[in-house]
Amino acid sequence: MISLYRPGDSALHRLPAGPKLLIVMALALALSLAPADPWLLAPAVAGVAGAYLLAGLGPRDLGQEAWRLRWIVLVLAVGQIFFLPWQTVAANAGRVVVVILLANLVTLTTRTERLVDAIERALTPLRRLGVNPGRVALMLSMTITTIPVIAGYATQIREAQRARGVPLAPLAFVVPLLIMTLKHADDLADALTARGVD
Amino acid sequence: MRTIELSAVTVEFPARVALHDVSVHLDQRRIAVIGANGSGKSTFARTLNGLVTPTAGQVRVHGLDPVRQAKQLRRRVGFVFSNPDTQIIMPTVAEDAAFSLRGRGLSRAEIRERVGAALARVGLVEYADAPAHTLSGGEKQLLALTAVLIGEPSLVVADEPTAYLDAANSRRIARFLLDEMPQQLVLATHDLRLAARCDIALRFEDGRLIDLGDPASVIAKYEVDQA
Ligand SMILES: Nc1ncnc2c1ncn2[C@@H]1O[C@H](COP(=O)(O)OP(=O)(O)O)[C@@H](O)[C@H]1O
Ligand SMILES: [Mg+2]
Repeated sequence: MISLYRPGDSALHRLPAGPKLLIVMALALALSLAPADPWLLAPAVAGVAGAYLLAGLGPRDLGQEAWRLRWIVLVLAVGQIFFLPWQTVAANAGRVVVVILLANLVTLTTRTERLVDAIERALTPLRRLGVNPGRVALMLSMTITTIPVIAGYATQIREAQRARGVPLAPLAFVVPLLIMTLKHADDLADALTARGVD
Repeated sequence: MRTIELSAVTVEFPARVALHDVSVHLDQRRIAVIGANGSGKSTFARTLNGLVTPTAGQVRVHGLDPVRQAKQLRRRVGFVFSNPDTQIIMPTVAEDAAFSLRGRGLSRAEIRERVGAALARVGLVEYADAPAHTLSGGEKQLLALTAVLIGEPSLVVADEPTAYLDAANSRRIARFLLDEMPQQLVLATHDLRLAARCDIALRFEDGRLIDLGDPASVIAKYEVDQA
């Protein structure tokens, strides 16, 4: 779900990370508070699509980003369909998709480094409460680095099981994944130490 | 001033003694470390940058104590691990290389320039903005090496840096370490051909330093003993 930076020179790329984050957060908040009305959603969808085009990302990218959200949409929709009219369910799901697409737009047009810097700066006032903004920023960066690695491990395990014709058992999947992840964390800690982080 | 000195160094883990009373004085440019699995190569390598703390004895690397002067030492000693996947800290190639320069008071422009130059040297400049996990194993190891060299260390410790690589990538990494970089090198390896290209070889067995000297003769004896 975390899309990495795509180099570019659009207005969105040039907008500093801090203001960009603030604008997107404000829009996301507004969307979440607005009534779940499909007709209100239409302009939001058009707006997001426009923003992607403005960032130099074509309909294909937008489609790809949206397609990656299919499971979230499914889970959301199934959870609500028995209790709410379908128009409301669709509007709710659409709202979540729009918010996530907006958030993705930030990561697509901002170097992770700048984003993390902006978050670090935003956290600086919390220093007095014992928060170490540098640490938080490093953890965020490392999380972004690690997610695709762990996803790769998951694929490896699934393929190994398929190759041996093992039916997909949750435990036989989670246990090796956990072991690989812990081993990875251990090795990464050594690498951090070796590179001078204490 | 590129002296590595161990005096009576012992490293004990709960279940076994990984290094046993090792004393050695090294000032060669390329130092090979060989021995069977579990003989203590990694433990030796890791004492040099303080990843492992000796139970007894003293270590001095370029005049510094790796445990007590860890912060200064890690700026001067770069470490390359075997697994290309577990050395990448930052999301993109350029950011990961730049990570080694943080806290040195360099401006953004200076960092960008040095990262660009370093990536160009290993042929990774076109991947600067790519997510690091999309690189091949060999490219990741080149990135790890770049991240080490960009910090301008005076010693590079490499623990089986070619273990995960195919022949072509192994050659590339080895050429860099053995022939191209000017830094002192400690190379723990199973690849005896790489050890043969060093200036001195150390052989460990069951945590003891049992042989050191001209790589050709150390390797020859090792091969006889293994047969
Ligand atoms: N962190 C550790 N905890 C416990 N035992 C260890 C640890 N690291 C290494 N050892 C043990 O110390 C011995 C030497 O290991 P090592 O230095 O990794 O050898 P090599 O790199 O030559 O294969 C081995 O028996 C190993 O199992
Ligand atoms: Mg080892």
